Amino acid sequence: MIEFLSKQLNWIDVEYWFYIFNDLSLLYLILPFFILELIRYAYLKRLNRDLILDSIANIITFGAFLITEVFLGILAITKVYFWIYNNFSLPHLELNWTTIFCAILLADFAYYWEHRLMHRIGLGWATHTVHHSSPHFNMSVAYRFGPLDAILPIVFSLPIVMLGFDPILVLLSEVFVQVFQTLLHTEIIGKLTKPVEYIFNTPSHHRVHHGSNKQYWDKNYGGILIIWDRLLGTFEPEEEKVIYGISEPLNSTNPIKVFFHGISRLYSKLKKTQGAKNKILILIKPPDWEPK
Amino acid sequence: MKSSTLLFRSIAILIVIAGVAHLVSFTSTNTDVPKGTTYKANNVPIDNSETDYIIGKWSVSHQSKEFTGNIIYEFKKEGQVFSAYIYEYVDENGNNQKGEGTKILTIDKFDGYKGTGKYTVTYQEQKYEIKCTIDMIDENSFTMSYDYYGYSDVETWKKL
Ligand SMILES: [Zn+2]
Repeated sequence: MIEFLSKQLNWIDVEYWFYIFNDLSLLYLILPFFILELIRYAYLKRLNRDLILDSIANIITFGAFLITEVFLGILAITKVYFWIYNNFSLPHLELNWTTIFCAILLADFAYYWEHRLMHRIGLGWATHTVHHSSPHFNMSVAYRFGPLDAILPIVFSLPIVMLGFDPILVLLSEVFVQVFQTLLHTEIIGKLTKPVEYIFNTPSHHRVHHGSNKQYWDKNYGGILIIWDRLLGTFEPEEEKVIYGISEPLNSTNPIKVFFHGISRLYSKLKKTQGAKNKILILIKPPDWEPK
Repeated sequence: MKSSTLLFRSIAILIVIAGVAHLVSFTSTNTDVPKGTTYKANNVPIDNSETDYIIGKWSVSHQSKEFTGNIIYEFKKEGQVFSAYIYEYVDENGNNQKGEGTKILTIDKFDGYKGTGKYTVTYQEQKYEIKCTIDMIDENSFTMSYDYYGYSDVETWKKL
C-alpha cells in the first residue's frame, strides 16, 4: 500500500486521469444529468419560460466570466505560479498518489476559505452573489459565475504551490474540486447515507448553502468535503425546505443584469456612503455591514 | 468560533496534509538514490569515471519529414542526473545548424552499463516525458529505447 502511494507516476498519465474527470465529465455526467433535471421539471410542470431563460443566463455568465478572466490575464497566471514554485517553495514533491491526494485535499481546503471570504467580505460578495442569485437549483446554476470569481482562488492557491506542489497539479486539483462541486447543484438527489453526509459535501448540504432562509445564510462552504465546515463552525444540516436565492431577490433573467448586479449594488452602496474610511470598510467588511 | 481557534485549526490542517506529502516524498526519494554515483555527505556528486564518460557530444541519425541527417546532443552532468541537450543539426549534405539547446533526455539512474530516465517527445505541439532506458553497447555507443502505449522506438547514439 505504502509502495503504491509513493510510487513515482508519469505526468502524461496523471494529466490523462484528470482529463477524464475534469473535462470529459461534462459529456458523460453533467449534460445527461441536466437533461434528466429538465425532464423532471417538465414532469412536475415547473418547466417554464423563467427557468429556461435563467438556465440560458447561467451559461452566458460562464462565457462572460471566462472572457473577463482572459482579459484580466488571470488564466495566464501559471507563469507567476512557476516563478513562486522555483523561488519560494519548500522542496518540490515527487509525483505520486500521496502527492495527488494531498494536493486535492489542500485545494479543497483552500476552496473552503476562499468561498467563505467571498461570502464574508463586501468585495467578494459583489462577485459571488451572481452565483447565488438564481431562484432555481440545477446543474446550470453551477456555471453561473460573477466577473471576479477567479481572483480569490489565485491568492489561495499560491500557498499550496509554496508548500512544494507542482503548479499544474494545483491547477488540476482546483478544477477537480470545482467539477465535484458542480455535481452537487441538483434537487434530484435527496440525502445520502449518514457516513457520506458526515464526511462529504452532498447535494443536500449544498442546497442549504444556496438557501435564502435565514438559518441557512453563510453555511456549508465546502467543496468536496463537509468536514471543513464541521471543524470550522459553519455547518448546517438541511431541515426546513430550502428557498433558493439571495435576501434581496434579483427578479431578472437578463444575463447582463445577472452578471453585473453585485458590482452595481456595491457601487451604489459606496456612492451613498460618506467618508473614505467607510468606503474602504464596505469593501472588506461583511456584505450586511453598515457604517454607524 | 473565535478567530484564534479558526487560525489554529487551519494551520494544523495545513501542517498535517503538507507534512504527510513531504514525508512520503522524502522517504521514496531516499530509497532510490541513483546507483553508481557516490555522494559526499552534503550531496555534491564526486567525479565518477565509471559513469562520467557519458558526458560530451553524441550523434544520432534521424529521418523524418522535417529533418533527415544527424542530430548532435550534448550530455551534461547536473547534480545527480545526466541531461542531454540538442547541440546541432547536420543534414545529409553536411550543412550544420545550431540546435535550440532543448533538453531532450534525462538519465537519473546510471551504473555505467544500463540506465533509465525520461525522454521528451513532442507530439502535436505538446511535450511529453516518457520513460526510457539506455543500454551501453561499448564505450562509444549505446541504444536508447522507449515504449509508450505502442509508441516505441530504438535509437543508437554514437560518441563524437
Ligand atoms: Zn457560495
